[in-house]
Amino acid sequence: MKKILLVLANEIVTVISRPSFWLVLLGLPLVGALIFGGIGWLNRNSGAAQSVNQAFTGTQETLAEGVVDLSGIIRQTPKEIPAGMFIAYPDEASARSALAAGEIGAFYIVPQDYIQSGKIIYIRPDFNPLSTDTKQSSLFRWIIQVNLLGGDQVKASLINGPRQVEDTSLSATPQVTEDNPLATWAPYAVTILFYVLILGAASLLLSNVSKEKENRVIETLLTSVTPLQLLSGKILGLGLIGLGQSILWLGTSYVLLNKSGQTFNLATALHLPISFLVWGLVFFILGYAVYASLMAGLGALAPNLREASQTTMVIMIPLMIPMFFSNTVFAEQPNGVLATALSMFPLSAPVAMMTRLSTGSVTWWQPWLSALLLAATAVLIVRAVAGMFRAQALLSGQGFNLKTYLRALAGRL
Amino acid sequence: MNKTFLVALQEYRQHVFNRRFLLGLMSVPLVVVLMVGLILLIVSMQNNTTPLGYVDHAGFLSDPLPAPAPEPPDKPVPMVPYANESQADSALRTGQIQAYYVVPEDYLSAGKLSVVYFTAVKAPARIQFYDFLTANLLRDTDPAIAERLVEGSEVTVQSADGKRSVSTGDWFIVIFPMIVALGFIIAMFSTGGYLMQAVVDEKENRTMEVIITSVSPDQFMAGKIIGDIAVGLTQIVVWGLFIAIGVLVGRDSLDFLRGVQVSSQTILLIVVIIFPSFVMVAALMATIGATVTEAREGQQMTGLLGMPIWIPYMLMYTLMNNPNSPIAILLSMIPLTAPLTILVRDGVTLLPAWQIALSAAVQILAAIGSIWLAGRAFRLGMLRYGKRLKWHEIFARQGVKS
Repeated sequence: MKKILLVLANEIVTVISRPSFWLVLLGLPLVGALIFGGIGWLNRNSGAAQSVNQAFTGTQETLAEGVVDLSGIIRQTPKEIPAGMFIAYPDEASARSALAAGEIGAFYIVPQDYIQSGKIIYIRPDFNPLSTDTKQSSLFRWIIQVNLLGGDQVKASLINGPRQVEDTSLSATPQVTEDNPLATWAPYAVTILFYVLILGAASLLLSNVSKEKENRVIETLLTSVTPLQLLSGKILGLGLIGLGQSILWLGTSYVLLNKSGQTFNLATALHLPISFLVWGLVFFILGYAVYASLMAGLGALAPNLREASQTTMVIMIPLMIPMFFSNTVFAEQPNGVLATALSMFPLSAPVAMMTRLSTGSVTWWQPWLSALLLAATAVLIVRAVAGMFRAQALLSGQGFNLKTYLRALAGRL
Repeated sequence: MNKTFLVALQEYRQHVFNRRFLLGLMSVPLVVVLMVGLILLIVSMQNNTTPLGYVDHAGFLSDPLPAPAPEPPDKPVPMVPYANESQADSALRTGQIQAYYVVPEDYLSAGKLSVVYFTAVKAPARIQFYDFLTANLLRDTDPAIAERLVEGSEVTVQSADGKRSVSTGDWFIVIFPMIVALGFIIAMFSTGGYLMQAVVDEKENRTMEVIITSVSPDQFMAGKIIGDIAVGLTQIVVWGLFIAIGVLVGRDSLDFLRGVQVSSQTILLIVVIIFPSFVMVAALMATIGATVTEAREGQQMTGLLGMPIWIPYMLMYTLMNNPNSPIAILLSMIPLTAPLTILVRDGVTLLPAWQIALSAAVQILAAIGSIWLAGRAFRLGMLRYGKRLKWHEIFARQGVKS
């Protein structure tokens, strides 16, 4: 136990005595604060805001647009269209000369066979295909729609579906709908957050172990500490640093968001109960233990850091799978077969279970079972990886391959 | 020259005839195929063909026209009428329908609907119901006009001189230059990584001392850069082949691939702007490799180099919507940000000739400068171990003693 503490203390001291650690630790909140400060300053200072805005969007003045209607369908302009926004021209030549004279910014040609072909030509000097999505062009489509229906505006407004839909859900769990963006957003945010937290802390271990292997310090260390002590000390030490780092970052972003004038209370905004935070801590610690030891094992087997970081993908895949599904499976059927299976499978559980917990009701025993399975996996993997820290595995300069890794994990190397 | 060629050939062989390179080469198309598969899977999961119920109080659905057939991959959803809400409700509770819509009496004037469900109706089924409503709304209208209203218009945007035109369905043509630029950037960084690694490796295992007895530093450096750029181009050519095959295969079944063609302007931009940027990144990577003593240190610095390249990526939305804003013009001139910015803009606007010329001149000058920097850093740092080369040493006058 004493030796574990020694390793732990040494890891913490080594990391925090590196200038680059402090640079990242303090630099990130500092950049955040600067950005927030800058935005706040722009908000107060409208003149500056306008010039910044202009630098990004260029001079934006909405010029009138010309319309050359060869089909004869445009007979009236709905009254909500501002006067002078569209100017009719009898033929293309006159529209072109108006364009050249700068009277209009662009013009439409509605061909004679418009009703059959549906084709409209839009002549724009700057040729931006995205300009068909602007407010002005949607007003033009509205004019066409109303005129095709002989001026019946009420009917025209119903062509693309109802104007308003009232949703009633008979289901007990909250539903994900377009009206409730927060509910759509929450599982995704939780997934990303846990993914980043766990992998961020775990990858510290990868570089740590592979570096000590590269410069052969680890061989000397193992003469006086057992592999299990070394690994537990490292996992605990770097885990504490990772946790501290995340708390600092989350704390600063919380403070910054509040400072910026928007009250933003994550827990109440998402309606997250206290139990969610407790489970969050449990799954973070267990998930971290599993992934940190897997990373350490990778570091022990790969000949150098470069090769080690190339192969981390193999390990990260189970943790990434819930991310792919966070917007579909987890948001819509958080208690379906796939979501439940992913939240029970230990390697994807830390992210998947938290995502499910954030979406709504999970049967009470499921987090317990999942955490138990994860804890058992963590113990097994820590032991297996400690077994990998043997001279044979550490000394060989052979390249990394998945087969060796799996065999070493099973203790058959 | 002969020796430069030898170094280049050796560098090329070492990287290309290597299992990991082939794996990396194949992994990009594989990942793309995987992503497309995943998207199709998610789309097909949205398909729920359980019937939709409706209660019509407005009366225009009493003898309804059938809903128009949905576009694949969406499957048709049957529409079932109910006389009142309680009947529909019991059907919903027994699972005969996935949801029911209530069309109120004043729908044709107020345009308001209500929907009752256990799980929200997904987009494919919802769109079919709305199409069903529209079809019945327009039943008394002239069929040609009704069809036009439902289908909408196809707007073709044309430049004033008529040289370029793109219609609404051709979004792929708009983003195609951007895809090309992203491919180049990925290749740029992977080959740049090789180059940084190459110099560091030979320093770490002291091969450098032997090589330098028979090759001059300039020849060595030039050979490495040429070899690695060739590796990068190999990567791009292979990816390009994959894309070309994809386009040829998909052209018949996927509408958006129709009309994809590389314009001569895009090719011009690749030659005068992307290629010099490519050389510049390679040379800068080599400079980093020559300055640092350990591979890990170099990796951190390449991260810094990568940041400016991604700035246009982060501003993509603004750039595409305002391709002629001051910031867009500025970013198309600055080395590193230019390749992506200028190709994104190429897709959505007409680039004035002076901008292309100025940007090309800047990129070419930057490339020449970086090569000079790489050569100098290499000569100073090639035999130095344990101590990093300082930046002021590279620029110092009396630094070179070759």
